[in-house]
Amino acid sequence: MVRAPSKRREGRIVGFFGPRETVLTAPDPDRLTELGKRLDELQTRRAAGQKPASPGQLGIAFRFATEMVAALIVGGGLGWGIDWLFGHFGFRTRPAFLILFFVLGAAAGIRNVVRAAAELNARMAQAQSQGRSNEEK
Amino acid sequence: MELKPMEQFTVEPLVSAPLFHIAGHPIYFTNQALLMLIVVALSSLFLIVAVKPGRLVPTRGQSMAEISYEFVADMIHSAAGEAGLKFFPLVFSIFIFVLFSNYLGMVPWSFTVTGQIAVTFAMAAFVILLVIVTGFMRHGVGFLKLFVPDAPWPLLILLVPIEIISFFTRPVSLSVRLFANMLAGHTMLAVFGGFVVALGAAGGLLTGLAIAPMLLIFAVMLLELLIAFLQAYVFAILTCIYLSDAIHLHDQH
Repeated sequence: MVRAPSKRREGRIVGFFGPRETVLTAPDPDRLTELGKRLDELQTRRAAGQKPASPGQLGIAFRFATEMVAALIVGGGLGWGIDWLFGHFGFRTRPAFLILFFVLGAAAGIRNVVRAAAELNARMAQAQSQGRSNEEK
Repeated sequence: MELKPMEQFTVEPLVSAPLFHIAGHPIYFTNQALLMLIVVALSSLFLIVAVKPGRLVPTRGQSMAEISYEFVADMIHSAAGEAGLKFFPLVFSIFIFVLFSNYLGMVPWSFTVTGQIAVTFAMAAFVILLVIVTGFMRHGVGFLKLFVPDAPWPLLILLVPIEIISFFTRPVSLSVRLFANMLAGHTMLAVFGGFVVALGAAGGLLTGLAIAPMLLIFAVMLLELLIAFLQAYVFAILTCIYLSDAIHLHDQH
């Protein structure tokens, strides 16, 4: 990220992946300490401003919807599969397991949504407490 | 003109002769296969060329590669801890593959690989199989404790099936989320594009109105650029969280 300013002055073209050969010069200690100070400063500033990536309102709604629908599909699918398996061996259970597992799937869906919401709550609480501690500084 | 917003998702063979047969089914070289190859080639090329100089003071390309490395490493560390870093190659590959496919899908006349449920589900199913294998390798039969919540035993009769269904929901919701986001966004763009053409052809005052859906396309395009990254991130971090479940079982609750 740090570009040596001398390269610019020489008028050399710095390509996307940099020039082919590197010119090594003895480091100037004053400039190095100054650079170190600037980097430290930048890092603390970035750490202060950084928040955990949070999806928007739409993203949250979408997440909950997919959790619910996916659970219903998996539950219904499992029930259907078990019915098919029993039917294969001559037991006519056809709608029984489908209905049972569809209901279980709905329960699993609600469980998933609650879990996702709890996760989100924890993350938001964390972000909030972080913001507060930053303000106190 | 007939509007076909879903046309962009058709998978069609590029070479009319099948490549080979698997159990009697012909396997063709499709536009999707071509795009996947391009994604893999581009991402490998980018990372190889960018890291090649190996300088102490990185060039622009090298720092891009380093930032993506550190980004994924941090993500795994925060979601799955130290033990999760063993899965870095997998998570990094998934993240870069999804990211590149999402962005290449934004290029006009290209094809969105991640807009196919077959592709996203294959990845999600692989992840969940890996979680199961890792779980059994690390904890043996104890891995099954993942399906047994803290509850009095009569309730367990009801809760264990629910937990099992909830576990198998993961690959479905993981793949559906990515696929549906891509599908919805690109369909929306195509529909608005159709509006522009239809209004433009209408003549008179309506032709001037064609600017409205045009501006909307611009806005949706920006949103799509954001979603392309966000969905790659979500896919990768959920992979980490599921792997963390396999590694630590109930620790995090």
